[in-house]
Amino acid sequence: MISGLGRIAAFAALVLVLAVLLHAVIDAGLRHIDTSSFGVWNRIYDGTIDADVVVSGSSRALTHYDPRIIANYTGLRAYNIGLNGSQTDMQVARLATYLRHNKAPLLLIHNLDAFSFQTTHGGVYDPGQYMPYLREPAIYDALLRSDPDAWRSKFVPLYGYAVQDLRFTWISGVASALGWKPAEDHFQGFKPRFASWTEDFARLKASNPNGVTFAIEPDGVTAMEALLRLCSAHGVKVILVYSPEYEEMQRLTLNRREIFGAFEKLGRDFGAAVWDYSNSPISAHKQYFYNSQHLNAEGAELFSRDIASRIVSDSFTGLLAEAAGRDRIGREMERIRTQ
Amino acid sequence: MLFNSLAFAVFFPLVGALYFVLPRHLQTWHLLIASCIFYMAFIPAYILILGLTITIDYIAGLYLEKATGRTRSWLLAVSVVATCLVLFVFKYFYFVIDNAIGVSSLLGLQLSRPTIEIILPIGLSFHTFQSLSYVIEVYYGRQKAERSFLTYSTYVMFFPQLVAGPIERPQNLLHQFAERHRFDYARVTSGLKRMAWGFFKKLVIADRLALYVSDVYAQPQDFNGLQLTIATIFFAYQIYCDFSGYSDIAIGSARVLGFKLMENFDRPYHSRSISEFWRRWHISLSTWFRDYLYIPMGGSRFGERRHFLSLLVTFGVSGLWHGANWTFVSWGLLNAAYLIIGSLTKELRDLAYASIGLGEKTLARRAIAWATTFVLTCIAWVLFRAETLSDAWYILTHLLVDWNVEQIATEQFLLRQMPVALLAIAMLEAVELVQKRVSISELLARLPIAPRWATYAGCVIMVVMFGVFRQTQFIYFQF
Repeated sequence: MISGLGRIAAFAALVLVLAVLLHAVIDAGLRHIDTSSFGVWNRIYDGTIDADVVVSGSSRALTHYDPRIIANYTGLRAYNIGLNGSQTDMQVARLATYLRHNKAPLLLIHNLDAFSFQTTHGGVYDPGQYMPYLREPAIYDALLRSDPDAWRSKFVPLYGYAVQDLRFTWISGVASALGWKPAEDHFQGFKPRFASWTEDFARLKASNPNGVTFAIEPDGVTAMEALLRLCSAHGVKVILVYSPEYEEMQRLTLNRREIFGAFEKLGRDFGAAVWDYSNSPISAHKQYFYNSQHLNAEGAELFSRDIASRIVSDSFTGLLAEAAGRDRIGREMERIRTQ
Repeated sequence: MLFNSLAFAVFFPLVGALYFVLPRHLQTWHLLIASCIFYMAFIPAYILILGLTITIDYIAGLYLEKATGRTRSWLLAVSVVATCLVLFVFKYFYFVIDNAIGVSSLLGLQLSRPTIEIILPIGLSFHTFQSLSYVIEVYYGRQKAERSFLTYSTYVMFFPQLVAGPIERPQNLLHQFAERHRFDYARVTSGLKRMAWGFFKKLVIADRLALYVSDVYAQPQDFNGLQLTIATIFFAYQIYCDFSGYSDIAIGSARVLGFKLMENFDRPYHSRSISEFWRRWHISLSTWFRDYLYIPMGGSRFGERRHFLSLLVTFGVSGLWHGANWTFVSWGLLNAAYLIIGSLTKELRDLAYASIGLGEKTLARRAIAWATTFVLTCIAWVLFRAETLSDAWYILTHLLVDWNVEQIATEQFLLRQMPVALLAIAMLEAVELVQKRVSISELLARLPIAPRWATYAGCVIMVVMFGVFRQTQFIYFQF
């Protein structure tokens, strides 16, 4: 019996060792990807972005702001760290990670949503994307807050990839370790969506004929305040932007006034500008959207031009001068180093 | 406790290891305590219901053995009614009340629904049927009444098969509790391999397909014909892999401990007729209904009409056993209708096949018979899975309508999951086909240790990486 149990234990140990090794291979593979969404994560984590203007927020941030256009208009380096399918708590975690590894930007454009005052419930969207970064305190703490069992992903081999993730992210990790890379679909973190209007909004309207209410959760307000405090601590100026939303959806949102009141209050309390693009002409045209919340690539280009020119023309001349000054100092230091 | 949970991954090795080091007189106690812990992981208080049915049937068994004449029949009736009453209260109370309210409102009477919350104890239908089987076997004198309450309780509560079968007969299982089970490496590893195969079926196939099926069947009106068809075929595999996967884990874990449970499935989707399907599907329940309902009703011994009536009653009750909903009853009756129509048209079909030169053994005829059986089974599964009869009707009438190949994915089931799901089904079919001829386990056993262990370890890692671990309950737990 002892030898039999010993053999079974030896086999279990073999499986455990294989699991640990495979986990390490997946982590390393994902950390080596320099394209697509893992490319953005890895640049944030490796501290190789150092942008002057950073865009944060949810999928609306990700698909609405083209940093290349903002850079062209302002002359500042811009980068988009918008996080698909995320609530404010995870957006704060991503921003905190950015600030930990990169130079603080001069300006943060944080894109707002009707659900900005909501936090993650019932598990994060696409948990596989966080797995190689669980040693990052902000990310791990945020995951732990939304799911007390998140520790398992950190300490049990393969748990995060096998149990939490349904998207086979682990295959990308193994493939990357073997030299494969996903096609590039992010440009300075921006992900344009080349899509036309879908039936998503019609379905939403049909299932909510009397309108929709977006909760203002105390935890969501705290998360927004945490984001603004974080920026304040790093000396980052903040503009809270409500990017265009299809106008019929605006009418469908029952507590829109209340939500915008809360945005205004946050702006006042933390000295952040609030720019509302609800009345932008873009909002009236389906052709610029693929659903009520998201601009397509054409809409995103128009909006990016709009906001970039506003950054230039509005009260940000001081910001630009500061950036230019910093660049001058940087150039001077570089000159001294090379002499 | 779910088999597919971290808790069971800790529980089972501990229970198994302790079982083999304990002296014989403590082994059954150990199994009973482990079974109580296993069952109480769901809703602890419901162990009292289990205790009640065990006590009733244990005492009934003892008295049945001693009693003679009409007293025996009365004792059997009391025991069966008492056991079924528990089943009725917890499973069918609201079904009866709701239907009574429906009928009375048609008659212009206003009845209100009571507001007591009744939660169905996990696996109630399984252990009540196992208990019933015991008293009926004692009544017919085919089984001696068990004197030891400990042994009888452990027989009903034996954790590998407590919540979803196989529904054992006392002749097969009860005596095994009196035997000494020592550690046997070959038997233990054989049990573990069987469990691994069950986990593959449950986690890799059933729970992945469940993502698609639950999306589509929750709101069938939102999906096109192609999606409805895929969901229906997926459900056929989901329920098979879910339930036979459970049976594999049950049989495997019992084997690890030294017990032999009956087989519950025999490649049912390889059947070439509905009657063959029912000989291969949920064998322990089918034989239960055959022995205790169909045959006592006369079976096929008293002419065609009586035979058809027996089939309708047996399958109708079988449907009701599965759930307190008309969808299940309809599913049972549809299967009875298949069998009746199959019996009535057999000669006609034989003639038709003969007229086009297709003999009974020809590949084409076998393929037609197999495909027809599979399609009919899938149609019946629609009734089984749909939430309401109107949903079922919608699905059945839209399966072939508005196919859109560009719209296949659902919210939970992204397109990238499709190759994994299809490959897993293909693997299942391949293994079952090969197993028909040779034992894969024996083939692997002939390999030297390094490639053999590498293969086993690879299989375990594959189940881990391709499985869905959402602690999804086994479908049959609700029955």
